[in-house]
Amino acid sequence: MEKKKTFSMNYYLRYLLFGVVMSLLPVLTNAGVIKTSWLGIIGGTIIYTIAGLGLNLLLGWSGLISLGTAGFMGMGAYISAYVTGDLGLPWELGILLSVVIPLVFGILIGLASLRMEGLYLGIVTLCVSEVLRKTFDELEPVTGGFSGKQAKYPKLLGIFELDQKGTFILLVVIMVLLMMLTYNLANGQLGRALHAMRGSQVAAQAMGVSLLKYRLIAFSLATAYASLSGALYVHFIRFVYPSTWTLPVSLVIMALIVIGGLRSVFGTFIGALIVYAMPDLVLKNIPVIGDINGLSYVLSGVLIILVVLFYPGGVINLFYKLQSLFTGKRSAERAVETAAGVEENRTEEGHE
Amino acid sequence: MSILLQLLLRSLETGAIYALATLGIIIVFRTNLMINFAQGVMGMFGAYIVTVMFQKVLYAGATASGMAQTPALLLSILAGVVGAILIGFIVDIVIIRRTKKVAGTGKEIITLGMMMIFLGITPMIFGVDPMRLPKVIESGEFSILGANLSYNSLLNIVLGIGLTVLLFVVLQKTKLGLAIRTTASNERTARLMGVPTKWVTLFAWALALVLGTLAGVMIAPSTSVTLNLMDSVQVNAFIACVLGGFQTFYGPVIGAYIIAIANNLLAYYVSSVWGTQILYVLVIIFIVFKPVGLIGKKITKKV
Repeated sequence: MEKKKTFSMNYYLRYLLFGVVMSLLPVLTNAGVIKTSWLGIIGGTIIYTIAGLGLNLLLGWSGLISLGTAGFMGMGAYISAYVTGDLGLPWELGILLSVVIPLVFGILIGLASLRMEGLYLGIVTLCVSEVLRKTFDELEPVTGGFSGKQAKYPKLLGIFELDQKGTFILLVVIMVLLMMLTYNLANGQLGRALHAMRGSQVAAQAMGVSLLKYRLIAFSLATAYASLSGALYVHFIRFVYPSTWTLPVSLVIMALIVIGGLRSVFGTFIGALIVYAMPDLVLKNIPVIGDINGLSYVLSGVLIILVVLFYPGGVINLFYKLQSLFTGKRSAERAVETAAGVEENRTEEGHE
Repeated sequence: MSILLQLLLRSLETGAIYALATLGIIIVFRTNLMINFAQGVMGMFGAYIVTVMFQKVLYAGATASGMAQTPALLLSILAGVVGAILIGFIVDIVIIRRTKKVAGTGKEIITLGMMMIFLGITPMIFGVDPMRLPKVIESGEFSILGANLSYNSLLNIVLGIGLTVLLFVVLQKTKLGLAIRTTASNERTARLMGVPTKWVTLFAWALALVLGTLAGVMIAPSTSVTLNLMDSVQVNAFIACVLGGFQTFYGPVIGAYIIAIANNLLAYYVSSVWGTQILYVLVIIFIVFKPVGLIGKKITKKV
């Protein structure tokens, strides 16, 4: 069905507009409208969004579970820190290497994933993540061991030395580019193939979708996104410890895509905002309950359970519903799609 | 020879801990068809109950009245087990019963949510300071063929094997075990046959919590009671489940002991630093070649 591209329907413009609004945040801190500490928090949100986009391609679109996100984020972070710090190579090369090397591992896992079903895969990726985390502890010449490793803000093209605000804008630019890329991938042939694979692997194969090819692509993309977000993390936060990259990080990233909305690009960002930024920005400012330890964990946990039980489309669907209230038409291409998703899952369950 | 025996005995102790945690995961998986990622933190929560009961309530009373430490500890463990059963009931009634309609990986994501809730409420209730939990049998050891073994380790080994055997006897010989096995085989048919599957899942969750708590109490003396108490146990228990295969009750237990023994042997004979990584990589390679685990059966999928 050919769609007319009006302004609101043009996704490139939407993402660009979103990027421009986000890049205004540093200006606002200069003007004193918002606190400087917010930049760090929103920057972290962006980093989580990037990793979440990758996992969304995997869990959302292809229905493959992975608990190895944290390991690959850490790997990207350490490689970039090592290449730019110890070897003194340019930042761009650091980013490139920190995506390419984990990619090899991602492809290996993709190959291995062909042999196993759903949850075995989750645990095997958890296994990989644990191996990586233990390696961060022990490989002291590269990772600095338990005392951690430092890195600098990026220096673009060897000329432009960025500060925190510059790095923030760089993060926004990369996130917007990746959002466009993800949108295009998911709505192109790749996305359709992944959809088919999620519905039924046998049916997908019968339709000529190569499981090998698309599983490899899905895993490499997820790994690349995760390691890129790790590399950005180390240049934004400027230090990295091995104890950061444990299972809870993978869980938080999974939580944010479930809460935000599986198979939704903006949903990933909204999920990251709810899970990562809201505890720091909102909860801490509420008197009395803001001081309770672990409240943010409980809140995300409850949200995850509520969303899975009662609102499988995620928080993003609220926005679509609001939108259709205003425009008066049921513009919910998404709602139809999730309904279909539920339907196909039901039939799948019925067969078991 | 004595070193090897020493290593094997120590492996039996860690294996017992892994086996209990693994049984908790597998009993929930078989009856609810969901992998409980919260098993570790549930055990951690139970261990916290025991530790707080002991440190804050019973130990003070015991020292005041001149009572020995061990009865106070045993009472605390009893309190922890009762607490674990109650939490298991709450988890099943409040959350799990509503997940029957959830498809695909949704159930696992719910257990991840539960994991986050437990991670959040533990510091709320019990505070953030690490605590210590003493051994049940404080001191004393004996030697067999040159290998030393403390009485507490012996207790752990016996407890691990004993509980496993007891559970299998219950599963095979009692009516409850029959109900569990029927539910595990096919929940819908079991319900049609008049098996009270609601009670079975209730029992399964309570049992999982109790097993997790006991595993937590067993590992707590060798470290301190913190939020990360069960992290490595949980990872190893999952790997044991995958290694043994999810289709049987006994496969994962065998997997748990294999993991414990291989881990200790690799750490001693190959490399103390890289042993665990080598083991995990070996397990991954094994799974690639035998995706259903040691004892698993291949399930043919209908289109």
